[in-house]
Amino acid sequence: MNSVNTENTKVVLITGASGGVGAGVALACASAGWTTWIMARRAAEAQQIADQATLQGGSARIFIGDVGDPESVQAAIARIIKTDGRLDGIVHNATSGLSPIPTSLAEVPFEDVADHVRVSLRGTYLLAAAGHPHLVATQGSFVALTSEAGFEGKARLPVYAAVKAAQRGVVRSLAREWGPTGARANCVAPLASTPAMTAAFAHDPAMASRVLARNPLDRLGDAEADIGPVVRFLLSDESRYVNGMTIMADGGSCPIT
Amino acid sequence: MTEPLVIGLDEANARALATSLGGELLVQSAVDGCSTDWRWADALESWRNGANAGPKAEHIVVALFPEVLEPAALDTIDLGGWVERSEVALARWIAALGVAQQRCADGGSITAIIDRVAPLDCAGRSTETAVSDAVEALVRSLGRSEGARGVRVNLVTTPARLTTLPVVDPQPPLAAFPGSIEDQIIPTCRMLLSDDASALTSTVIHVDGGRSWR
Repeated sequence: MNSVNTENTKVVLITGASGGVGAGVALACASAGWTTWIMARRAAEAQQIADQATLQGGSARIFIGDVGDPESVQAAIARIIKTDGRLDGIVHNATSGLSPIPTSLAEVPFEDVADHVRVSLRGTYLLAAAGHPHLVATQGSFVALTSEAGFEGKARLPVYAAVKAAQRGVVRSLAREWGPTGARANCVAPLASTPAMTAAFAHDPAMASRVLARNPLDRLGDAEADIGPVVRFLLSDESRYVNGMTIMADGGSCPIT
Repeated sequence: MTEPLVIGLDEANARALATSLGGELLVQSAVDGCSTDWRWADALESWRNGANAGPKAEHIVVALFPEVLEPAALDTIDLGGWVERSEVALARWIAALGVAQQRCADGGSITAIIDRVAPLDCAGRSTETAVSDAVEALVRSLGRSEGARGVRVNLVTTPARLTTLPVVDPQPPLAAFPGSIEDQIIPTCRMLLSDDASALTSTVIHVDGGRSWR
């Protein structure tokens, strides 16, 4: 088993980390003693997670910004480099606030499509493009939080499913483009109890039974205890030979083997 | 099989596909520019909403073949290029598949055809790979939502236009790689449109000579 001491200096950026899965990832990284940058739009909530992360043994900082805005992404990474001198990992977790809202392709307003694309897909591009040189310097890792929806589609969330799938496509290409530089890129497809999942269940009451009935573990994952460690693994040196993959952290819910 | 409605761009591949299948071609409107604020999407939304009002069709083929651009590593693509290569392309598919969803008759079928490079060959094709993966999820989403009314929705992918030869070893099992739309894609499309495919929905067929194994 590797010593965690060699990784105490890891510095990671996590988007959308003021709640839900992103917060769970931030706390899991903090528990390993890492420096965690929480990038979010909600300052109070981000600070709350940062305070909790610091209590759990990490060093947490916040950057209030918009992952779909190139200037914001560049400023976040510049701040990290200026403050900590390095960037070992990027986790793109933020998704559109419209993610749990049911729609159809025949009727969805393109303003809504743009929001999905801007946060999930353009955010992936902006973070990868701006972060790559720094990840090369640290032989670091990029992780995108995708979804089982990106494999199997969702009848009432087709645009969400599309942008989640698109992230997997980008990461697959990044793994091949970045490989010679030593930087890695992977995805995690989580199934967790989050505010977004709660909202989705509220919009579609039958969704809860659809989600849980097929789950062999018969429960939703916990963002910090079940999802966070999987993402932390992909950020760590222990996964240094894992590249271009999507790890399903869903209790066996989505039967992709 | 009745002649399908073919939804495509104003380009030769879509016209040839419609002619070969004996169907009418519904041309998607042009997109003016590729600004990062998505102003260009208004035209697509208007086109979709207008096209939605057309008559029902038993079979619909959606085949968008945009201009093929040179491969480019993600790090080398500026934001405008990113929008053009990925966001505009994805928005076009969402509009086209929205029309297909609206206009496909109960018990009918929707078959989408998209450019896709195999995973082994996707370096330099992050934008195209993102869009093809997204369309795969869109097709599966439609398969789920439209299945209740007996509509089948499937996807055919082709590396024919995007692959730069020679590809990295090992070589694909079939010498026909990367194939052509005329010789490989249209026959596969015919099969999916036929009653022989009555139990197929949410299926993705990579017509790439065995280059992909998932």
